[in-house]
Amino acid sequence: MKNLFKATTAFGLALSVAGPVFAAGDEIREITIFSRPQAAQPSEFQFVQLIAQEWRRLGLDVNIEVMPWEQMADIVWYNRDDWDTTGWQMVGRPERSDPDELIFNLFHTTTAPTGYNFIGYENPEYDAIVEAQRTETDIDARRDLIHRAQAILAADQPNLMLAHPQSTFAYDNTVWDPDSVIDQGGIGIRNTWTFINLEPLGDQRDVVLNSTDNVQGINPLWISGGTDSWITELIWDRLLRIGPDGLPQPWAAESYEWLDDSTVEIVLRDGMTWHDGEPVTVEDVVFSFEAAMGDEAPMYSPFVSNIADIEIVDDSTLQFHLNAPSAAFLTASLSKLNLIPQHIWAPVLEDLATRDEENAEDYQEEIPIGSGPFQFSSWLTNEEIVLEANQDHFSAPNVDRWILRIVPNTEASLGMLRSGEINFLSDYPGDPNILIEIAGEDGDLEVVSTVDMGFRYVAFNHRRPPFSDPAFRQALSMAINRDLIVGAAFRGFAVPSNSVISPALAFWHNDDVDEFETGVEVAQAILAEAGYEVIDGRLHYPDGVSETLGE
Amino acid sequence: MSGVKRFVSRLLQLVFVLWAVATILFLIFRLMPGSPLAAYIDPTFTEEQQRILMARFGLDRPLFEQYLIYLWNLLHGDLGESFFYRQPVGERVLMLLPNTLVLSLFSIILAYMIGVVGGAYLAWKRGSFVEGATIPFVLTTRAMPEFWLGMVLLAVFSFSLGWFPAGGMRTAGSEYPSLLALYTSGDFWRHLFLPALTLAIYFHGLPLLLMRSNMLDVMSEDFVTMARIKGLSNWTIVVRHAARNALLPVATSLAIAIGYQMQGSVVVETVFSWPGLGRELVRAVSASDYPLAQGAFLLIAVVVILMNLLADLLYGLLDPRISHA
Repeated sequence: MKNLFKATTAFGLALSVAGPVFAAGDEIREITIFSRPQAAQPSEFQFVQLIAQEWRRLGLDVNIEVMPWEQMADIVWYNRDDWDTTGWQMVGRPERSDPDELIFNLFHTTTAPTGYNFIGYENPEYDAIVEAQRTETDIDARRDLIHRAQAILAADQPNLMLAHPQSTFAYDNTVWDPDSVIDQGGIGIRNTWTFINLEPLGDQRDVVLNSTDNVQGINPLWISGGTDSWITELIWDRLLRIGPDGLPQPWAAESYEWLDDSTVEIVLRDGMTWHDGEPVTVEDVVFSFEAAMGDEAPMYSPFVSNIADIEIVDDSTLQFHLNAPSAAFLTASLSKLNLIPQHIWAPVLEDLATRDEENAEDYQEEIPIGSGPFQFSSWLTNEEIVLEANQDHFSAPNVDRWILRIVPNTEASLGMLRSGEINFLSDYPGDPNILIEIAGEDGDLEVVSTVDMGFRYVAFNHRRPPFSDPAFRQALSMAINRDLIVGAAFRGFAVPSNSVISPALAFWHNDDVDEFETGVEVAQAILAEAGYEVIDGRLHYPDGVSETLGE
Repeated sequence: MSGVKRFVSRLLQLVFVLWAVATILFLIFRLMPGSPLAAYIDPTFTEEQQRILMARFGLDRPLFEQYLIYLWNLLHGDLGESFFYRQPVGERVLMLLPNTLVLSLFSIILAYMIGVVGGAYLAWKRGSFVEGATIPFVLTTRAMPEFWLGMVLLAVFSFSLGWFPAGGMRTAGSEYPSLLALYTSGDFWRHLFLPALTLAIYFHGLPLLLMRSNMLDVMSEDFVTMARIKGLSNWTIVVRHAARNALLPVATSLAIAIGYQMQGSVVVETVFSWPGLGRELVRAVSASDYPLAQGAFLLIAVVVILMNLLADLLYGLLDPRISHA
C-alpha cells in the first residue's frame, strides 16, 4: 500500500516536472546544517540557528542537526559525501602566522580526497596561484599572490565565513608590570614572549596561570592538546620563533640566510646548553630534524617532508637543502620543530624502532630535558605543572617559576584570579563581558582581548548540489549579516570575516574583500539571476536541473 | 551453610557482578555515536598513519574480538592504554584513587557525625518546633543538586569571604615529600574543607533520617520504658540505651554510603578542581577515551561492590541474631 502510494506520487511529480506550466527545475530538497551542542559550543549553536532562519526566508527547507564533535568530525571528515553544511572552526596557532597552511591546505584540489579540503572545492586558477605563492621567495610578490587568492575565494564563497573571535585573557596588574605583557598578533597575551618578558612589581615572582583542560603529555615529538603546546614552547627551543608581529625571527639560530631559493644556511647560537648541562651542538639540531623525518614522530613529518638533506658545514653552521623552493619553510618548519638532545633521545628512538606499534608519542620522559627559557620542575597529574626559569638561557625569564594550575571550573578560575590564587588568567572560555565586569569591580585586573587568527564559519559541501553552484553559495552567504552574528553569537567579541587570512595578520590580509552587501534581498537577487525560482514558498533549481539527492 | 561455603558463594557472586559491569561498560562506550579516533587522529594524518594508530589500539578488529582481548587483559589486571594520555590506564587511575578516597572518607565521616547526633536529637525532640523546622531543611539538602550546592558554598566562603581557596588540593607550587605529608598538612585541609562540606551536606540526610526513625522505634521498646521507671537521667537513656541500639543499621549503611559517595565525587571534583577519579571519569567520557573511562568506572564499581560485601559482613558481626541463610 505504501509502495503504491509512493509510486503514484512519483508519477504525479514526473507529470508536473514534464508539464509546460513550470519553467523551473526540481524543488530543492531539505538541506541540513550540523552544529555542536549548545553546552559545548554556545556561539556555534547560536549562529547556526540564526543562519538557518535566514536561509528559510529564501525558500529553503533547513534542518538543524545537533551532534557532539566526535560524531560531527566523523561524518564531515571521513564520510565526505554525506553532509550538506556544517558549523566549523580553525584555531589560531603561531605557525599559522604564515598564510600557506590555511590558503593552500583548505582549498587546493590535492587535499580534497583525504586532507583539509574536506568541502571538495576545485578551481584550477586558484590551485595555480597558491602553488605559485609557495615557491615565491620575494615577499611582496608573494603577498600579491596571497591577495589574489583571497579575492578568488571572496568571489567563489567556498565557505560562509563568519567571524574571527577575540581571545580574552587577564592578569593582575599589581603583580605584573603591564608594560612587560606582550600582545602577539592573532594569538593574544598568553604567549611565550609574555612569559619570558613578564616583570614582577612586588614579591610575587611566580606566574600562576590556569588551564581548563588536563595536560596530555609533555613531549617534544608529539603534538598533543592545546594546553600542552604552551609548555613545550617554553621547555624546548626552536631554530626560529614566530615573533609578536607574526613573522619568524632568529632564536636558537643566531642568523639564517637563503643561499638560493631552496637552500637555507643556519648559524647556531654559541654557548647554549641543555637543562642537564650538556652543550647544544649542530649534531643535536640535525638529529632533531631527522627524528621527525623518521617514522617515530608522525605528527611532525609533514613539516619536514620538503627537506632533502641537512649538511653540517662546521661546528656552528648547517645548511638545509629543500626538494622544492618553499616560502613557508621558515615558519612552518624551522619555527615549528623542537630541538631535542641526541644523547637522550637517540637510545629512546632506537628502542622504539624495534617496536612496531609504539612511537615517540607513547614515550613520556620522567624529567623532560630541553634547552628552552624554562626547565621542567614537577608535574602533578590533573593538578599543576611547575617550570623553573632557566637562568643560563640567552633569553632568561624575569619570573622565578611558571606554575600552571588545572582548573576545570571556569567560575572558580575567576574567583582564583581575584583572590590571587592565580595571577594570570590564561584560559577563559566564558563570556568576556563577565570578565570585564569583574575586572571593573576588582580594580587590579587588566583584561586584554585580541583578534584571533582562527575563525568560525559554515562549510558547504561542494560534492552535493546545489552547493556546487557558486551563485547558490554566494546567495546563502550574502543572506547573512555578519555584524548581527558577531553581536548575537559572539557578544561583540569577534570581528566579521570574509577571508581565511585574519585581519590580525595585517601584512597578508586583503582588505578589499572585507566590504560586501548582505541581506535577504541581496541573496534573492543573486538567486533570481542564476535562474533559481521560488514556487509556493519553496526554492527550485534553475530550469532543467533536477534534484539528485532527494529521497 | 558453612562459613567457607558461604564465603566462596559470595566470592562467585562478586566475580559475576564484576564481569557484568565490565561487559556493560564495554558495550556502552562503543554504542556512543561517532568514532573515538575523530577526537585523536590529527586530520593532517595520512591514511597509513591512521591505520597504524587504529591497529595500535586494536580498533581495527571485530567488536567481539576486541571484547575478548579486553576481558583477557582484565583478567591479567591490565586496563589497557588511554587514547588521550597514551599512558597505562591502571597506573593513572590508581594514582588518582587516593585523592578521591580521602575526600569521600572525610565527607562521609562528617556526614555521619552530623547525621547520628542530629538524628538522635531530633528523635528525642519528637513533635517539637525544632523537629518541625529541621526535617524540611534536611529533606531540602537531600534534593539539592551537588554542583549547585558546591557553587553556592564557593561563592559564599571563597569568592566573597575569602576563607577558603577556590579549588585544587594544595597551594600553587607547594611541595610535599610524600602523599602522607600532604594529607596531614594544614594547607591540604583548607582545600579539602569546602568540597567535603558539600558532599557532607548532600549526604547527611541519609544517616540522620535513618538514625531518627530507628531511635523512635527503639524508644518505644520495653527496655527504655524500664529505664525511665528506674529513674535514669534522660542523657543516660538516650546515649547509653536507645542510641546504642539504634546505631546498628546506621553503621552498616556507612559501608554502602562510601560507595554512593564515590559517585557524588564525580560532580564535586569538577566544581572544586579536585584531582580525583571522578573528574578523570568525566574527562574520559567527554573525550571518548574508552579504556580510561572503563578503567575509572570499573574501579569505582569495585569499591562499591566491596563496600556492599563489607556491609553484609559487618551486619552479621555486629548483630549475631542476623543469619546468613
